[in-house]
Amino acid sequence: MRSFEHPVYLIVPCPFYHPKKRPLLTYALRRLLYLPLSLFLLSLLCFGLRAITPGDPVESQLPAADSRMATTDPAAYDASYRRAAAALGYDLPTFYFSVENAALPDTLHRISQPAERRMLRALTLASGNWPAVEMYYFELRKAAYSESSEDNLNVVPITRRLLLQNDPAAMTAAMNTLPDGPLTAPLKAAYSRVMDGKQRSQLLLPALRWHGSNNQYHRWLGKILKGDFGNSYLDRRPVAAKVGRAMRWTLLLNGITIFLVYLIALPMGLYAAGYRSSRFDRYSTTLLFLMFGLPSFWIATLVANYFTTPAFGMDFFPSMGFGDIPDGASWWSVLSIRASHLFLPVVCLAYPSLAYVSRHLRRSAVKELDQAYVTTARLKGLTMSQILWRHVFRNASFPIITLLGGLFPALLAGSVLIERIFNLPGMGQLLYTAAMGRDWPIVIMLVLLNGLLTAAGLLLADLAYAFTDPRVRLGGSSTTTSSNTVA
Amino acid sequence: MRGSRSNKMARWWLIGLLLVALLADFIANDRPLIASVNDEVRFPVFHEYGQALGLVDNYAPVVRNWQRAKTDWAVWPPVPYAAGSTDLKNSNYRSPFGTQDTGERARHWLGTDKLGRDVTAGLIRGTRVAVLVGFGSVLISLLLGIPLGGIAGFFGNDGLRAPRYHWWGWTVGGVLGLLYASVSLLPYFGLESRWAILLLLLVAFVLGGLLLRSIFSLLSPLKKETAFPADTVVLQGVELFVNIPALVLLIALIAIVNRPSIGIVVLIIGVLRWPSVARYLRSELLRIRSLPYIDAARVSGIPKWRILFRHALPNALGPLMVVSSFALGGAILLEAFLSFLGIGIPADEVTWGSLLRQSRTYPQAWWIAVFPGLLLTVTVLAANLLGEEG
Repeated sequence: MRSFEHPVYLIVPCPFYHPKKRPLLTYALRRLLYLPLSLFLLSLLCFGLRAITPGDPVESQLPAADSRMATTDPAAYDASYRRAAAALGYDLPTFYFSVENAALPDTLHRISQPAERRMLRALTLASGNWPAVEMYYFELRKAAYSESSEDNLNVVPITRRLLLQNDPAAMTAAMNTLPDGPLTAPLKAAYSRVMDGKQRSQLLLPALRWHGSNNQYHRWLGKILKGDFGNSYLDRRPVAAKVGRAMRWTLLLNGITIFLVYLIALPMGLYAAGYRSSRFDRYSTTLLFLMFGLPSFWIATLVANYFTTPAFGMDFFPSMGFGDIPDGASWWSVLSIRASHLFLPVVCLAYPSLAYVSRHLRRSAVKELDQAYVTTARLKGLTMSQILWRHVFRNASFPIITLLGGLFPALLAGSVLIERIFNLPGMGQLLYTAAMGRDWPIVIMLVLLNGLLTAAGLLLADLAYAFTDPRVRLGGSSTTTSSNTVA
Repeated sequence: MRGSRSNKMARWWLIGLLLVALLADFIANDRPLIASVNDEVRFPVFHEYGQALGLVDNYAPVVRNWQRAKTDWAVWPPVPYAAGSTDLKNSNYRSPFGTQDTGERARHWLGTDKLGRDVTAGLIRGTRVAVLVGFGSVLISLLLGIPLGGIAGFFGNDGLRAPRYHWWGWTVGGVLGLLYASVSLLPYFGLESRWAILLLLLVAFVLGGLLLRSIFSLLSPLKKETAFPADTVVLQGVELFVNIPALVLLIALIAIVNRPSIGIVVLIIGVLRWPSVARYLRSELLRIRSLPYIDAARVSGIPKWRILFRHALPNALGPLMVVSSFALGGAILLEAFLSFLGIGIPADEVTWGSLLRQSRTYPQAWWIAVFPGLLLTVTVLAANLLGEEG
């Protein structure tokens, strides 16, 4: 688990220290400037993910009738594929610029079928002679899309396979199996021109090409910034609506969880620190250590197996979803239905965070209790509760604030498992089904959203931390940067 | 409460896991360790290693199924079942305490699953995966994090001083060299082997850097001496990484990868975890570099890189190792998490997480849910215990 512990207590332990000029604003601005850069890199990452995703996005958008033409009428299929690719912008260059081999033409991206593009690229990089490759491609398409008849029975399937073949050695082998005929003669001639007229010295030149703003990344980002995340590949519904519906449940689940975590963890950690090495402290420390180590998905599996199925005669809780609310139900029955569905997931989601927060608070409170001001307070005759809540809590809670920033994304990730195990239709479940179904518009949106939440959570936590603790000298290198805990 | 005794136990537990992982084939296997067939003494388990390495050929009359083969005598491993192999006589979830139809063979000590696969053998195979992912990913994150964090912490923003042309030449020239090699030289030479490609890229980086450095050294504005802001660069990198939603990205990445393999999981977990190593090492070295013995070394004229690697780093590595055991527990947990979800780890690989996932289809089989979870819990607790020491 990552820790966001800030060594507050390493900086001047003087409660009355106020810097004259608060560099908070400049610090906040710097962090705010940093956020877009992070998000830009994240968007590049997501865009890159799209590029390496197996599966053809254009083909999945084609109507079923068009997809069937791939075998019966390849020429018409090619035309409709081209149209679909152009409509989706897949025939544009990928990015604003490209660094490529100079032997490759700068219009290769207009070949819309990825497999053919790969074939052309491989052949060009093997020979270096693009004009000859272009001629070969022209002849190959003519042969592949010709009507098959008695005399060229073998030609069409072999040439169609050649269109997708990106290994030059295999190409030569397939070319040798082609029968001689009027259709294949120009093709063979073109291929031998490619192979004989190699200009490998061409390959040594690199080329930097500027494509301008009419590129795939620009379009994609523009759409996202306008709030148009596209449609899901699986059911063609708008991504934003699907994610929005799932987010409601995840927010409900995680909201209750965070509330409960802080409600229980704060007094627990404080009192354990205040009554150090008492029986309560010893037991709670051991218990929290065990809770921190118990994998929550194991506990969730066990609990789901025992308490939501009739396997052991203990199905006390319903097993699926958040429950259906009948029309006109009273608020009490709504509450009890929801509570019975939410109880186990919330418990399983909450207890590791509870242990984490509570242990952190105890550790920082123990450090605070050694300070001189606590001795002063004790000499004044304050009770332990007063000291803990009025004096120690404020100072010890700064690390807890920063924890909140890291807790949020961690809980979202944790709810992938909890939502899977308890079958809740939240964002975690959505991420899982989308990732398994290679439904990248949804995966990308969830990654982006999560990145935004992570970054915003860290930023808010840092700022809240700065506002509550006047001792923190923001902008210095010592505040945000040093942390003493690993992993 | 957590004295040295529990620490010692935790250490022994992890060492034991390592041993089980190394010797997994000798602990649970469906072929004997030593067997005599027709007066010929065979070492079937050892022989498999030999065959995998291409050292030996098959035994002449091939024995396909050692369970049914007639042997004069045989020494079996403690668990005479292999992780993936089915025992259809004991299929449909046999409980460890229920009736089992194993004949002369040993019982399935921890029960079986739907196809009669032995749970004990599965746990032992799962240990191997867990150890591989845990130690492997920690190793990768250390390999990335130690140099970066070490340089950032030891040199800070003003420790590395050189003329400007040095920094600019190396960064710009190295990047250009890499680009040129990958765009033009790779297709030109048509290299296939991974090592040759790596070597070519390395040579291109060095040549590009040297070339541009010597060109830049002729320009007078670049001759001024400056410090390389190592600390800032590394910290900005850490900040960028911290903003990446690691787990969500992990699921997305692994689901997108075409052929799942353990290597990819190890790599991704390791790479995602380097910032915490770098951060910890940086703060350790910030402390160490102000200690008197470093000053003494500096005064006596030892080169700064030698001080870093011979004198400063070894002192920081001890605490780093202790704290890394946290990361070990985390990585093992993450692997179980992923295989529980059924992503990343190949489907035919038996792991603790995949056993747990099986238990969801048949809740009555408590033994499939309880034992892997217990192993996982004890491992994570042991790793956390060791980590808290630091």
